[in-house]
Amino acid sequence: MGYNFQTSYILDNADALLRGLLMTAQVSGISIGLAALIGIVCASIKIFNVPVLSKIVGGYVYFIRSTPLLPQIFFIFYGLPSLGLGFSIYWSGVLALSLWGGAYNTENVRGGFLAISKGLKEASSALGFKPIHYLCFVAIPLGVRVSVPSMLNTSVSVLKNSAYLSTIGFAELTFVAMERVAQEFRTLEMFAAICALYLTLVLALSALVRVIERHLERPFKET
Amino acid sequence: MDLIQNNAPIFINGLLETFQLSAVTLFFAIVLSLFFGVLSVTRYRIFKIISICYVELFRDIPLLVNVFFVYFGAPLIGIPLEPFAAATISLSLWGGANGAEIVRSGFNSVSNHQKASAKALGLKPWEIFWYVIGPQALLPMIPPFTGLFSLLIQATALCSMVGEMEFFRMAQIVVERTTINTGYSPAFLVYGFVLIVYFVICASLAALTKRLERWLSERQDRRGAGLPAVERLAQESV
Repeated sequence: MGYNFQTSYILDNADALLRGLLMTAQVSGISIGLAALIGIVCASIKIFNVPVLSKIVGGYVYFIRSTPLLPQIFFIFYGLPSLGLGFSIYWSGVLALSLWGGAYNTENVRGGFLAISKGLKEASSALGFKPIHYLCFVAIPLGVRVSVPSMLNTSVSVLKNSAYLSTIGFAELTFVAMERVAQEFRTLEMFAAICALYLTLVLALSALVRVIERHLERPFKET
Repeated sequence: MDLIQNNAPIFINGLLETFQLSAVTLFFAIVLSLFFGVLSVTRYRIFKIISICYVELFRDIPLLVNVFFVYFGAPLIGIPLEPFAAATISLSLWGGANGAEIVRSGFNSVSNHQKASAKALGLKPWEIFWYVIGPQALLPMIPPFTGLFSLLIQATALCSMVGEMEFFRMAQIVVERTTINTGYSPAFLVYGFVLIVYFVICASLAALTKRLERWLSERQDRRGAGLPAVERLAQESV
């Protein structure tokens, strides 16, 4: 029971923790962006029912959503090199997280696209818009707007899931903490520190979600 | 394929352990989520705050950190834990936080006039809760809880990181052993196989969830309650 909690230990290691935090922020930032891109592209494919591609996208989304992320990461990092597709730790991590977030974002954006009323599509084809024009000028601005809150929730999950990358040796926050713990055994301090950091990041992002949600609702409030 | 056939007993043992772990975890998660879910729908503000803090804390910290915290932190305060126990504790806490949200929305889905009518009939508060609100809130919670079970099965893969001998850990062992013995890494095959097995399990659970949902909505229709609120809303907006 006599565990001596040393707050100063956290401060002594602030440098290392900060480096880990930056790596976490960096990899999740890139993955969040790529995941949003994947989500928009795949949702567009699904909404237009592109013959073969939409089946592939459907399979991809279903597969990613029904398998755990950790084996996915291991598959990408340890499995793909035997096909000649070796990625570095960093890019394996980015790939795994983006594919994971992309699958969820596809569903989010598709929900947004489905919320656009049919009349707009008919109106744009009456105006002679090609499908690509409808997509770029009508569907994406309106549909993505509707799906932004759920996409941001997925982004929060991506941020949390970046902790999984520590298992393949990615030097992010959890990895840094585990390394210190393995050397100096100040487990409680380290974990308290990273819990606080993750909580801060996630709560900050969720606060941002709420601000953006309110901002997006504004044009529709008058009507 | 030979590799997987030769190691079939290992994989089956791992799979059994995975099921065992997720079933035990589901049980504790349901207990926790009922407790905190009910706390969040009480009238008392302090209980609500406690419940919100619990839910936010365990949903916002990455599950991996949670698992490590329990496994490596427990010995320091004098309770060394087996991997299985540590995994059960951390996954249950996490599942309980997710389940509490399900329970809360289940209770919120019971329309307010049910409570008002029960009150008008002169029922005591606990009677209202036990005979009127509870039974109606419980049924809509079933499909989300099967979804949670699927999430818990997926989450057990994490416990391989603290040495729990479940399915994914077994796969890692097979990969490592074969790499050492033959010098050739079967990671692609074995991890691909692992993904497919998880996919089959979770996809069948998802199919079950869908059937339960349909059964529930049909049941609601038969009872003359009309469509569930969500579908009614969707129709209105068209």
